[in-house]
Amino acid sequence: MSTVDPLLIETIESMLGDLCEPEKVGAAEGGLDANVWKALTESGMASVGLSESAGGSGGSLQDAAAIAKAAGRFAAPVPLTELSLVGGWVCEQAGLALPEGPCAVVLGDGRRTYWAPVAQSFVVVTDAGVAVVGPDAVTLGAAGVNYAGEPWADVTVGAGVTFVAGPAVQQVQARGAMARALLMAGALGQAVELSVQYCNEREQFGRAIGKFQVLQQYLAQMAGEAAAAEAAADNAVDVISGGAGEAEVLQVVAAAKTVTGRAVGIINRLAHQIHGAIGYTDEHRLQYSTRRLWAWRDEYGTEAEWSASLGRSLAAAGGAALWPKTITAWPPAAVG
Amino acid sequence: MANRLTFPDAALPASTEEIRTRIRGFLDAELAAGTFTPRADTWLSGHDSEFSQKLGKEGFLGLTYPKQYGGQERSALDRFVVVEELLAYGAPIAAHWIAERQSGPSIIKHGNEALREELVPGIVRGEIYFSIGMSEPDSGSDLASIRSFAKKVDGGYVVNGTKVWTSQAHNNHYFIVLVRTTPAAESQGRHNGMSQFVLDLRSPGVEIRPIRLLSGHHHFNEVVMTDVFVPDHMLLGTEGNGWAQVIGELAYERSGPERILSTYPLLASLVDAVGPNPSAEAAAEIGVLVSRMTALRRLSISVAMSLDAGRSPVTEAALVKDLGTQLEGEIPEVARRLVPPGRNEQFDVLLADSILSAPGFTLRGGTNEILRGIVARELGVR
Repeated sequence: MSTVDPLLIETIESMLGDLCEPEKVGAAEGGLDANVWKALTESGMASVGLSESAGGSGGSLQDAAAIAKAAGRFAAPVPLTELSLVGGWVCEQAGLALPEGPCAVVLGDGRRTYWAPVAQSFVVVTDAGVAVVGPDAVTLGAAGVNYAGEPWADVTVGAGVTFVAGPAVQQVQARGAMARALLMAGALGQAVELSVQYCNEREQFGRAIGKFQVLQQYLAQMAGEAAAAEAAADNAVDVISGGAGEAEVLQVVAAAKTVTGRAVGIINRLAHQIHGAIGYTDEHRLQYSTRRLWAWRDEYGTEAEWSASLGRSLAAAGGAALWPKTITAWPPAAVG
Repeated sequence: MANRLTFPDAALPASTEEIRTRIRGFLDAELAAGTFTPRADTWLSGHDSEFSQKLGKEGFLGLTYPKQYGGQERSALDRFVVVEELLAYGAPIAAHWIAERQSGPSIIKHGNEALREELVPGIVRGEIYFSIGMSEPDSGSDLASIRSFAKKVDGGYVVNGTKVWTSQAHNNHYFIVLVRTTPAAESQGRHNGMSQFVLDLRSPGVEIRPIRLLSGHHHFNEVVMTDVFVPDHMLLGTEGNGWAQVIGELAYERSGPERILSTYPLLASLVDAVGPNPSAEAAAEIGVLVSRMTALRRLSISVAMSLDAGRSPVTEAALVKDLGTQLEGEIPEVARRLVPPGRNEQFDVLLADSILSAPGFTLRGGTNEILRGIVARELGVR
């Protein structure tokens, strides 16, 4: 397991903090913010975690995860992880050049391909293999936006595309779920921070509302769920970077998507309850975190699908295997 | 700006693998020999002095203690591994539990040399057992309001007062008792004027009365102390410093694997009871429980590593205990929904243990409401 340099976190948070002011995040809905995308690609942040030989910036999966969490925290309106953790990884594995510009990952039948309307490259993953194509090679069908205004479209890939061997659909789906879990971990932390701030600023009955024990209990509960969510996402990153086999990758990603998705239900509800009516108006920034969280928990598989898949594999392995093979295997012990 | 609670990278050192293999080997052999049957919540209820002495003999107790008192000066993370394995196997560990977890370390840290030499080697051998003497009938969450009092006399102190919820006092040898040595009214601040003593539970003037739980089990007691003489050398640490000493123990007491795993044996049994091809509902519910357990275990490891590095993550420990004890209570709630009674005898026993012990999970060692207050304060409100 590798430790993330605090300087990297400081750099990405400062960059995104400056660029992702709430008005800009709101204005980008339906598309993406070109300035943010430019800053992330020109600085190399968008391809951290992808090897330099593949055309990436190098660095560990933990580094890429830290950047994804920061993007979630600041609600960066760009398809960062479609490149850094999903599409770029597919290309690296398949020996293909990294996609040019913002990319979308077309999985299986291509329905609801996230970010497709603004993508300049499409990483296509099918049972026949993988390929990277430009907009000319695909047809966009039905289109829309998720709860946060992030665009999607149904994508049909034209005939004549040459596929090469690469990761299977299920494995790419798992990478996508890991990426959403990391984005959620960041955004959950932000919802908690905004709630703490509001509790200290807002006064009623002659005192800050944070003086009321009920709200203190809510905040502590939220901080707990956010910490658990981040831990689950980090477990996935550490187990995957430790070289886990395909079955274990599916399991640990299932746990990450399950815990983060579950935390969204709890934290969003309490964050809005704490913020009162102002928190669900268009003018308040809380929505840029909570709407993303509601959207992301459904993308790349809901927690219901993932937890059932995990439960089935655990039941098949039996109760005696649970402790040694799963619970004490995550996080992996340090090497050496 | 709000404070963020952070849980830095968590990975047990590879060096812990050796002792994990060893304790598993020991427990597999004991299970095969039938010396124990896995139960839930065994760190409170499974009092078995023979088993504790075996653990002592095999070198699984006092791992972190100094060698001069029989310890091995190993990392606290080695102890973490041994403890989580014992809990996962549902082994009977209540006899030595408090002594090994906190009384020994307290005596090593605060006790005088005579006290250390008298008691610590016996704790390491799994022969000397301790209870906790903190709560009183009128002092639960508000521990600083205790009234038990120790009055200085020639050669020692005379203690009067009543302690309550004293786990296993009827089976154990000593407790570390928190008392006032200066009346509250004369102390500067309510947290001053308290002291800790090691008190022999067989001393004249000690009366131990059972408090049966709703399960019918007898773990808890009320301990009434009437003019109990405690010799000078049994004062633990400095007179008047009792509160600080107690608070220092809390991170150890609150973040350990026992705050996540009390009902683990039921979870493992549940996985078997639903069979290899469970319904989608059963699979999803088990998936959620295991997902959360692995996330919380990571947080618990992070706190243990932080403690091992010499920090004092009191708030982080409170947060982990809040989450972990909720999970401990949810495991039986899910288990009973998925498996009807009367199908599997071992499952039924573990379920009964867990259901009937569950109210205690979120009370003992600081209620979850108190813990959340600690977390909220650290987040920057209040």
